[in-house]
Amino acid sequence: MKNSKLKSLYTYRWRICLIFILLVLPRLAFSLPFTERVTLQTGLRLIVSEDHSLPFVTFQLIIDGGSRIDPPNKEGLSYITAKGLLHGTTRNTAQHMNNTLDFLGANLSSSSSKDYISVALKVLKKDLVQGFNLFMDAITQPVFPEDEFRREIQRTLGAIKSVEEDPGGLSEREFLKTLFANSPYGHPVMGTGESLDRLTRNDMISFHNTYIRPNQAILVIVGDVSLNEIKKDLTGRLETWIAGEVSKVSYEQPPVSSAKTLTIDRAITQANIVLGNLGPPRNNPDFFPMVVMNYILGGGGFSSRLFTEIRAKRGFAYSVHSAFDFKKYTGSFSVNLQTKNDSAREAISIVLAEMKKIQTEPVTDMELEGARKYLTGSFPLRLDTQAKLASFLAQVEFYGLGDDHADKYVSHIKAVTKEDVQRVAKKYLNPGAYTLIVVGNLKEAGFRE
Amino acid sequence: MFSVISLSVVLAIFSFVSVSFGEEKLGDKVYETILANGLKVILLEDHKAPVVTVQVWYRVGSRNEAWGKTGLSHLLEHMMFKGSKRFTAEQFVRIIEENGGKNNAFTSRDYTAYFVNISADRVAIPLELEADRMRNAIFDEKEFLTEKKVVLEERRLRTEDNPQSYLHEQVLATAYQVHPYHWPIIGWMEDLERLTLADAREYYNQYYSPANAFLIVAGDFSRQELLPKVEQAFGHLPATDAPHQSVGREPTQKGERRVVLKREGLVPALMMGYHVPNLKNPDSYVLDVIEAILSSGKSSRFYEHLIREKQVALRADVDHSLTSLDPSLFFISAEVLAGKDLLTLEKAIDDEIMRLQTEPVTPEELSKAKNQMEALFLYGQDSVFYQAMVLAQHEIAATWRRIDDYLPAIRRVTADDVMRVARHYLIPENRTVGLFSPITLQDNYHGPAKNLVKEKGHTR
Repeated sequence: MKNSKLKSLYTYRWRICLIFILLVLPRLAFSLPFTERVTLQTGLRLIVSEDHSLPFVTFQLIIDGGSRIDPPNKEGLSYITAKGLLHGTTRNTAQHMNNTLDFLGANLSSSSSKDYISVALKVLKKDLVQGFNLFMDAITQPVFPEDEFRREIQRTLGAIKSVEEDPGGLSEREFLKTLFANSPYGHPVMGTGESLDRLTRNDMISFHNTYIRPNQAILVIVGDVSLNEIKKDLTGRLETWIAGEVSKVSYEQPPVSSAKTLTIDRAITQANIVLGNLGPPRNNPDFFPMVVMNYILGGGGFSSRLFTEIRAKRGFAYSVHSAFDFKKYTGSFSVNLQTKNDSAREAISIVLAEMKKIQTEPVTDMELEGARKYLTGSFPLRLDTQAKLASFLAQVEFYGLGDDHADKYVSHIKAVTKEDVQRVAKKYLNPGAYTLIVVGNLKEAGFRE
Repeated sequence: MFSVISLSVVLAIFSFVSVSFGEEKLGDKVYETILANGLKVILLEDHKAPVVTVQVWYRVGSRNEAWGKTGLSHLLEHMMFKGSKRFTAEQFVRIIEENGGKNNAFTSRDYTAYFVNISADRVAIPLELEADRMRNAIFDEKEFLTEKKVVLEERRLRTEDNPQSYLHEQVLATAYQVHPYHWPIIGWMEDLERLTLADAREYYNQYYSPANAFLIVAGDFSRQELLPKVEQAFGHLPATDAPHQSVGREPTQKGERRVVLKREGLVPALMMGYHVPNLKNPDSYVLDVIEAILSSGKSSRFYEHLIREKQVALRADVDHSLTSLDPSLFFISAEVLAGKDLLTLEKAIDDEIMRLQTEPVTPEELSKAKNQMEALFLYGQDSVFYQAMVLAQHEIAATWRRIDDYLPAIRRVTADDVMRVARHYLIPENRTVGLFSPITLQDNYHGPAKNLVKEKGHTR
């Protein structure tokens, strides 16, 4: 008995040691997979990362033409145009295109976000050229048939209803609308019932003519293909995509944040809460301190302050997190949580108290070290599939973060100090004048008499 | 942490199952060993990216629960993050996060799984932590009561305030009357409120042991180097007998059942669940092909006919799981497009089922479905997490080795099989239909008004 007890004590200590050693071991420097970058004569920026471990290829195209540039009263145009790319081309009807893609087991999709349109293709190596040609047809030779356009409008109206049925989706939509007011990021990417009603096929054709141009675009190719193959088999086709003059769309700043509260009464069991304020653009010198600060406040998995206070200590919510949503011009900061109606007010006051605390008191050494280690150590997990790597490379290029962004990521995060954290908390959180959305049973939540 | 994998999620994931493309079998890359204490260890080396996934799967899920104690498996999953004799909850999370790891867990009807995705050079860390909480979890009353509140919030979020999840629950409760798939993974609200700390502890002691679990590691490691670490971490855990796994058999359904949900909402929805076998019956693979024919891609029958042509549906999907431990449901779900109605949608879906039963699928359409399934197989191999998950799901249902049957079984499916299987299983007598018929939702907007919250002074 004695022996076995000794033995177990021994293993116990040994294991503690093991963990300790692994914690202090020097980190292996992580480097980005090798990438090559070419700008074609047409202005298209082409980024290639070869990975021959599996026989398929991922294409990610992003085009500077998100909902931000929807003309007034034509909200949703960027989105509908992006969808329209897959409605048929001069070579193929939508049905024929869908059938061919499915027969190849290829995935082709298109969508739009606030900043850009994206078109993605995943195709087996053996079908590379065939898949790529369908992809290029969609981008450069769409015909936008009237009947497909009508169907897309109906589906989008349906999708808007789904967002409105979902209290979480509704609260997020209303948050951005309220925060950005009538500025370019304010309206939903899908538009509204009224604006979709006003769209015509000609609007799409004209949007496509103006913005879907190689000089507006970044194409990332990741997977089982070499630069030589791209030059031999794909570049010719890429070069037939003709550049066009695109006049810069002016960006109108949203009004400076003042406190605004929007409450929506609904017969549900939880209050869906979004609280926050405007933020800086993606390409700003405070990016790294902001990431670290947010990780400590509410971004970091299961150890953040908001998670600890609201979930782990009080059991008020299943999900609570904070995030900076970085965009090309103006971003936002928000805290998002759902709690049973009668905890709503207390949860909100905890969120505000935590925002104030991180502004007024330095974070602890342990918190700072934890954030730095997580953010640097988890970097490889952010790039471990073709789609994740392609999306990362496209964004770095789109937001102009520099070719050395990934290489310098670790050193930038490690350089963040406690003072930096406090400074950016003061600068970018506004617990005094925030936008608040509550979707829930307002009487139970104490927002209505 | 702590997610309930809903039926649809598990099934959706399954449809990306992956096996080696070409003729190299995925199973050939897998190594299996069983430690002296009964813990099965499944290793898949894949050096594509410098990461590993470490997963411990317990053969316990909501199917193992008793009437009146529903939701216990999932609540226990939450408790597993609340500390052990060696590590407090905070230490556990800090060790993983400081090493750049992402960790979480999920509970299904058949299993509870814990995972850490982490840089390959840190693989020993999750092994230590998982081995520890297999036997050493502590159960604190205060933590239990708080975590129960979290789970109640999770249920409100996922089910109570979500009409389609709510309907999904109603359909399962109607389709299964005897078998424990009757109740939701997250448990009934009433049961959750009554669960006790003693329930959780007893359940843990019964089901969390080497003989009722397996470890699966996939990613960038060498087996020779990893095995001693596995032995070091798990080898000392005491051997126990595996708990019994038998549950009540669902009697054959005799006649269609219907359930209607009326509550506020905007998008009417329809679900149909047909009782079907799992991969132990070859018909299951035919049902997988049928799933692809109906709903995989924009040239699928549902997309082409219901969404594009007739414009009756906003969305129409099929979920089918080969790897359910007990017979599950071939599950059709669809949302009505604004301006159309449930009746028209149901008729349109019935027409598609009837077409499967009366008209042989053409060779082109059959090849297309198989090509899609093979490509998805391959794409799935891009993620080590996903590969481990698929192997583990096969291990739960039968053995991970069955993964190598997938492609041959799919390739063998003929047009006659499709018609025969559709005629045998996809019949009204064998199904439960659920309808969500919304009552008009009347939102009342207030604001934006300045300082509304502040004026009312909601301080703590």
